[in-house]
Amino acid sequence: MRQDFLGGLAVIAVAAFAYWMARNLPAGAAGGIGPGSLPKALAALLGGLGVVLLSNSFHSESLARWSIRGPLFVLGALVVFGLAVRPLGLVVAGPLAIAGAAFASSEVRWRETLIFGGLMTVFCIGLFKFALGLPIPLAPWLLGY
Amino acid sequence: MDLIANLALGFATALTPMNLLLAFIGCLVGTLIGVLPGVGPIATIAMLMPLTLKVDPTGALIMLAGIYYGAQYGGSTTAILLNIPGEVTAVVTAIDGHEMAKQGRAGTALGIAALGSFFAGTVATLVIAAIGAPLTKLALLFGPAEYFGLMVFGLGLAIVLARGSVLKAVIMVVLGLLLATVGTDLETGQDRLTLGIAELSDGVDFAVLAMGVFGIAEILRNLENPESRHVAVSKIGRLLPSLDDLRRSLGPVVRGTGIGSILGILPGNGAVLGPFASYAMEKKLARDPSRFGKGAVEGVAGPESANNAGAQTSFIPLLTLGIPPNAVMALMVGAMTIHGLIPGPQVMTKHPTLFWGMIASMWIGNLFLLIINLPLIGLWVRLLKVPYRLMFTTILLFCAIGIYSINNNPYDVYFTAFFGLAGYLFIKLGLEPAPMLLGFVLGKLMEEKLRQALALSEGSFMTFIERPVAATLLALAAAIMVIAVLPAVSRSRQNAFQE
Repeated sequence: MRQDFLGGLAVIAVAAFAYWMARNLPAGAAGGIGPGSLPKALAALLGGLGVVLLSNSFHSESLARWSIRGPLFVLGALVVFGLAVRPLGLVVAGPLAIAGAAFASSEVRWRETLIFGGLMTVFCIGLFKFALGLPIPLAPWLLGY
Repeated sequence: MDLIANLALGFATALTPMNLLLAFIGCLVGTLIGVLPGVGPIATIAMLMPLTLKVDPTGALIMLAGIYYGAQYGGSTTAILLNIPGEVTAVVTAIDGHEMAKQGRAGTALGIAALGSFFAGTVATLVIAAIGAPLTKLALLFGPAEYFGLMVFGLGLAIVLARGSVLKAVIMVVLGLLLATVGTDLETGQDRLTLGIAELSDGVDFAVLAMGVFGIAEILRNLENPESRHVAVSKIGRLLPSLDDLRRSLGPVVRGTGIGSILGILPGNGAVLGPFASYAMEKKLARDPSRFGKGAVEGVAGPESANNAGAQTSFIPLLTLGIPPNAVMALMVGAMTIHGLIPGPQVMTKHPTLFWGMIASMWIGNLFLLIINLPLIGLWVRLLKVPYRLMFTTILLFCAIGIYSINNNPYDVYFTAFFGLAGYLFIKLGLEPAPMLLGFVLGKLMEEKLRQALALSEGSFMTFIERPVAATLLALAAAIMVIAVLPAVSRSRQNAFQE
């Protein structure tokens, strides 16, 4: 598939979605523009540009190969960190994020990842919690903060 | 002699032990993170922003500026040693810098880059100090219509200066503008495009967006091209350039500084053009242009100076007009807002110590870079030998902690993951994220000014034509857009970026 064909479709989809979300916002009367005017105008413009991109897509490059593993584990690790940081604290969220992300690379090594994840977490706790005094939870279930 | 009095005030502020320490730490950690391959200044600043949360506003901005210069210099180091430019502006440095490194002259390339940057930084500091005050006075005369015109002009420039197709750049700017409308409406307080997610009612956080599309997406890109990097450079060689190198570099450094300083002032990320323009110029002026691309020291000296000069003068639109000309300056806006400062002409009048202290610290930061980097090159080289599988997990953890800490909100981490995915799609679809970020940055301010202007004119769009300054700026924006799509120009534009 051509790069710009998919790109055009994606842009049109985003524009349509934005327009749909803005559908109930008032466009404003005379003497000014309302909250809905700009989102709708921009969404319409974006949709139009998407159509142009799509219609000129015949000569664009073909799509490069996609990978699933990298995005899945890297983004997954971020989400896991976000889920874990408040209830479980950095003590758990740190190693989880490192271990999860490590699987994004085909070179993952178990022991190295575990040791490294632990060390990095200790380092981050020292830096962010103690040296900088940021209010990030450490281990609420164990320490209460 | 206001200039001298102002600079004296600035240096009195910047030279306090605390602020010196902050500038030093900023430069050091900025370089440390910036030297990691694939981590450009934007991701570095977004990641390190929490370091400055507990510092007073002046100190925080001094430290952030230090982080910025450090990250830039770190990026040049990676470009020279590994041929991996962390951002667009380091692309040019990589051409001849990496060739020099292969010839065993990495030390000289790094040394000349540091010296050139220091010279450029010194000049740019003076430029900012000299034209900051008059520009601020000018800015105070600007009404909403003029501001709107200026921002449209800035976006027009950003589109012209973006790499790749003009259409795609326009799409990304509009996408950025649309993204900026997410959140509570300024006038009516209505939620817009939030899907009912309460965490979005303040809008999308810029640091989150920038970290996603630059930091996280870059990790995903690097994971797809496994270990093409290796520090082939076995010997760094002498750091201090020889007399011959210095003689060759003098002209390029001076010219690069000039080009970079001027381009950096333009709204719409003019600074990005500096290194390219400087490289092209030196190649034209050279007696033997064939040396370029084969390790010519001029090809490092000129672009590096232009880069650093532009990096610094791009503070001018931010500090005087309150309009960030690029993504890095937008992060500075974020940092200023956290500390309760609204960027714009009033900063200089209301917070003179902060304004001049920051300007003075720019020069000090450049001095620190010289002091830090030359002896620490060995350390950076060793850092670059750490395998990527360890490096990216660490970068990711720092990103997560950094983003969480800005607002202490786990949702920011989820949004970062979302924008990381979006950034990955942009890479696959050949869409450049930089214009989107600028559109996003200027979007809120543009809508505000547009609506203010229309309120003043009682809804008449004629106000943008009747007011001469606004009309001129809008006409200029239209003109550069038209010129950019002319076939002849668009061809030479392609060539300029490919060179």
